[in-house]
Amino acid sequence: MNGTSAGPTVPPGQPTALLEVKDLSCRFGGLLALDRVSFALQPGEIFGVMGPNGAGKTTLFNLITGVTPASGGAVCWRDEPITSLPPDRRNRLGMARTFQNLRLFEGLSVLENLLVALQRQPRSSTLAGLLNSPVHRRAEAQRFERAWQLLEELRLDGLAERQAGGLAYGDRRRLEIARALATRPTLLLLDEPAAGLNPTEKEGLAELIEALRSRHRLTLLVIEHHVPLLMRLCNRMAVLDFGVRIALGTPEQVRRDPKVIEAYLGGAA
Amino acid sequence: MDCRAVQRHAVQRHASDSGRSTDAMIDHGLLVQMLIGALLGISVYLPLMAGQLSLATPAFYAVGGTLAALLSTRWAALGASADGRFPLPSFLLEVLLGGVLAGLLALLVGRLVLRLQGIYLAIATIALVEIVRVAILNLPLAGGAIGIFAIPQPFANAAGYLLPALALLALAAWSCQRLESMPLGRAMAAIRADELAARCMGIDTTATKLSAFVLSAVLAGSTGALAAHFLNTWNARQGSFDVSITTLAFVILGGSRSWLGPVMGGLLLTALPELLRPVGDVRLVLFGLVILLGPVLFPQGLITPALLERIGGFGRQEAQG
Repeated sequence: MNGTSAGPTVPPGQPTALLEVKDLSCRFGGLLALDRVSFALQPGEIFGVMGPNGAGKTTLFNLITGVTPASGGAVCWRDEPITSLPPDRRNRLGMARTFQNLRLFEGLSVLENLLVALQRQPRSSTLAGLLNSPVHRRAEAQRFERAWQLLEELRLDGLAERQAGGLAYGDRRRLEIARALATRPTLLLLDEPAAGLNPTEKEGLAELIEALRSRHRLTLLVIEHHVPLLMRLCNRMAVLDFGVRIALGTPEQVRRDPKVIEAYLGGAA
Repeated sequence: MDCRAVQRHAVQRHASDSGRSTDAMIDHGLLVQMLIGALLGISVYLPLMAGQLSLATPAFYAVGGTLAALLSTRWAALGASADGRFPLPSFLLEVLLGGVLAGLLALLVGRLVLRLQGIYLAIATIALVEIVRVAILNLPLAGGAIGIFAIPQPFANAAGYLLPALALLALAAWSCQRLESMPLGRAMAAIRADELAARCMGIDTTATKLSAFVLSAVLAGSTGALAAHFLNTWNARQGSFDVSITTLAFVILGGSRSWLGPVMGGLLLTALPELLRPVGDVRLVLFGLVILLGPVLFPQGLITPALLERIGGFGRQEAQG
């Protein structure tokens, strides 16, 4: 499916899209991991991406965040093309992500993980830091305050001094979300946030994401295998299969889409 | 080990100074050398804080040393007198200039070599050491293979160098300690832990690595300027591949999780060959054994994270919230 620039459910005349993916392709040698995928995120929505294993979901995240260069197409942030920006510049524009396989700064403490992400909130010069000037100390105090707020919000405050690598799986997932939030994103990309969580934690996750969205005024892009969670959480979703976007719409529309049913259950091609 | 031969020469020269003093037990020349070792250890440690294995320290050390040797022997305005005395302010100016010149060189070269990672960066920095060594060897004024002799002395004896060397070490250690509780140092630690995640958290990894590389070079350059005067003679062999390996051994034996590690490693491994002198030629075998057994017995170095924890987080502390 060769998508148009905006999804079919977006009424015309809405404010400009926060993030727009236009005909995005990614080729690894002979493998076309993503084939001209397009969609647009409206501010404030929770957008889900689902698809069978190997459909190209994480590749899509890597292209959006700049970790992997695109082979074709464009990524636009508030109508500005950002396809050639490196990941750090994109983060500073306002997008932060988590990783499917968890990439915490394992040797650092939980608190330090957040302080790393808070290094620009507020900014302070290296010279001020070396001299431990009042400006630096004020900036540090703000960073610590913000870090503790986030730790409390994600119920990690009891673990602040622990090494990130030694945490339980669920705590590590929440720490990754806290670390991403520390960079003050407007768009949060969650790569399989429910993977590895127990049923109780999965239950709590939907509420947590909903709460974070309203408290931090986030737009969310969520990759998830756990379909009930996505159905419950998302305003809209896209389905990928073999690198191609086969469906786009509300969870209700997607659920009844024959192409989606075929991709998941298999059918006569 | 050419550099050692020259250093030994200097130690003996200075040892004859201290031999005349009342406390002949303390070899001031060796103490200064140990401090220089600790300084070079920190210089190797700084890029490692950002996960970058750079062996370029001797190149910057050579740049600083050569600059000081040239300036003090060729530039009369600095005030070197005929009897080999040298004004202290000129000496301090050279230490500063040595750091600045090395830092500028690091700024230029760093942009290029820091694109490489891991072992490739190590190889590229070894190449830099060789390039600088050969360049100095062929520098018209630097005396070729013989080098520059009779570098004027700001102090009457080796003990005089203790204070500036200690001051430089204190400054370097204090800066490392400060880095731990400021954004630059945290960015370095994050890159060391996971560079990709660090980039996705908005850290400009190129600028951070370059900062670490330049800080390392400034320290090595200043140390070189100090060492040139202390050693009294300077040639291209001072910054050779040997020194790359020796200084790396400081960090490996001492530990790379805190600045205390390379300081400890630098002090110990510089002192050892001299302290073992009474046992004769076996000393080099013993020295080799220490370097070999160090990593086997202390895989994390002498200064381990657990040890730092026990002594109250000193050297690896985070301000409390």
